[in-house]
Amino acid sequence: MTYSVELRGVTKRYPGAGGEPVVALDAVDFAVEPGEFVAVVGPSGSGKSTLLNVLGLLDDPTEGQRLLGGVDVTSLSVAERTAARKESIGFVFQDFHLLPTLSAVENVALPTAFDPGDATDRAADLLDRFGLGDRLDHDPSELSGGQKQRVAIARALINEPAILLADEPTGNLDTETGKAILAEFERVRAEGVAVIAVTHDPLVEEYADRVVELTDGVLVGGVVDKGVDDTERDDTERDDTDGHRPATPSEER
Amino acid sequence: MSGDRNRSGWLRGWRPAVSMAGRNLRRNRVRTLLAVLGVCIGVLAVAALGIFGNVLALGADDAIGDIGTQVVVSPNADAGVESLSEADVAAIRRAVGEPAVVPLYTDNAVVGSAGGQTFATVYGVEEPGLAFEAADGRLPERHRRGAIVGAGIAEDLGLDAGDTVEIAGRQIRVVAVLAESQTFSPVAPDDAVFLPESAFSADGYNQVLVVAESGEAARAAADGIREEVNAREERVDLFELAAVVDEINGFFDLLSTFLLGLGAISLVVAGVSILNVMLMSTVERRQEIGVMRAVGVTRRDVLRVLLAEAGLIGAAGAAAGTLLTVLLVAGFVISTPAVDADLVLDPTNGYYILLALVFGVGVGLVSGAYPAWKAANERPVEALRS
Repeated sequence: MTYSVELRGVTKRYPGAGGEPVVALDAVDFAVEPGEFVAVVGPSGSGKSTLLNVLGLLDDPTEGQRLLGGVDVTSLSVAERTAARKESIGFVFQDFHLLPTLSAVENVALPTAFDPGDATDRAADLLDRFGLGDRLDHDPSELSGGQKQRVAIARALINEPAILLADEPTGNLDTETGKAILAEFERVRAEGVAVIAVTHDPLVEEYADRVVELTDGVLVGGVVDKGVDDTERDDTERDDTDGHRPATPSEER
Repeated sequence: MSGDRNRSGWLRGWRPAVSMAGRNLRRNRVRTLLAVLGVCIGVLAVAALGIFGNVLALGADDAIGDIGTQVVVSPNADAGVESLSEADVAAIRRAVGEPAVVPLYTDNAVVGSAGGQTFATVYGVEEPGLAFEAADGRLPERHRRGAIVGAGIAEDLGLDAGDTVEIAGRQIRVVAVLAESQTFSPVAPDDAVFLPESAFSADGYNQVLVVAESGEAARAAADGIREEVNAREERVDLFELAAVVDEINGFFDLLSTFLLGLGAISLVVAGVSILNVMLMSTVERRQEIGVMRAVGVTRRDVLRVLLAEAGLIGAAGAAAGTLLTVLLVAGFVISTPAVDADLVLDPTNGYYILLALVFGVGVGLVSGAYPAWKAANERPVEALRS
């Protein structure tokens, strides 16, 4: 059984203001299986963004090990990290972060824009799946918040990633639209993609298979697999009543 | 995956980069336009000043013409030589070889006709055809009778071939009028009258004119005279114009460089404005660039987009500047009849236009390089932090 992404004893320290280093992540163990939807909750400043950045290969851990599909990716060169992000990781941001000069379909194809071959058809198919088949050539300014976030999710999926990382994906959306977006995550998850969302939104917790809490850099409930040393496991969250979680973790990868 | 791209995708990667760059430039049209205008002015300055300097040099070259092809040999009065004898002339002929040697008697006289009178240099010459050309009448092979009148004198006195001119009280028939001299020469044939040698009773020539085909040949002739005629004693003085031509050419080279330098300053200013525009634009788009990097666009491709933006500004400015230069030069030629169109249309001027064009694009790329490099290398995690 291979985790989509796994952190082993990851610590992240930043140089602090008074010379004292700030510990953003403190010996975090975290593992997510393919097809699992995990919500990371915690107060502001608890290290959620750092966790997401480390998971998304935007930032490197100070200590510990990071694995992507079972492969150690703890210390990669800048170019290797960029390639790995493109290949395996999709990002969804709170502010959508679509490029205003590109149309919806071009935004979706952005990760592959500089590659040989045209990904426009694939991008159009994805948008179609998200119900935006008639908005392909619209500029982001012509789309509603929910539509923008769908475009962003489609962009995250253009390279068929193993992991989808979402930073407050519903933060700028009303409840109805937020639900619709979470339903999309649900579908993505059902296709075997590991979805990790950092959030304040209780709605997201409802949809998640598992909710883990990060407090002052300490993660509770990061790993559920019994084969792995997991002293901080939290069974009550593990046994959340929602039935989305596949009975057998998919081995399709 | 990246090996494949490195080989085949290098050129292809520029297409989406240029397309994105174009859209980014259109986002802030006024700012883009101002940067383009800066390059346009810089290119205009380089091209126009370059062409201006070149036309000046070409014009001077044209005006002084074969200035360097003549050597004037005169007796060295310091060594007690008052005039040049037949033997001296023969020695000069031997020394120079190929070029024509034209010995001259020199005097001054009042020249008059029905149209008035003037004071002119009068030369005695036997073979005028070697050094001069006729505009009216025909130059005799051996000058035996009559007067040959320089273009300036002929105009002042209203003389044509066949008229009669009064020189020092004697009436002499004009056999030919010389063409206006294209050459700057100390002999100044335009304001002179040429008579047969027999009109002079002096016992030696006052000067000898050596007319060569090229500046190179004239220099060689002068060297020959120095070595052979002046071998034992300094019998003759040489007035050699080739050296003067070198000086003049050197001056015009300097002038051209100076003018180009002036133009280059404005191009540098344009470069700074591109730098400014690109820095502002990358700071404003920091998050966007961070997103591109986060979703897997490589640093190289981000660099490409930003370089393409700067390059497009440079290219657009250079194209506009070039066009403007061509229009300006054309307008200048049309409105100023005094300017010789041939000089302006000289192919060497194209070189300055090309130079300015290359400079314009180059300035764009060079000043775009730093902001592009800076933006492409920013850590996406920093750039995304709002």
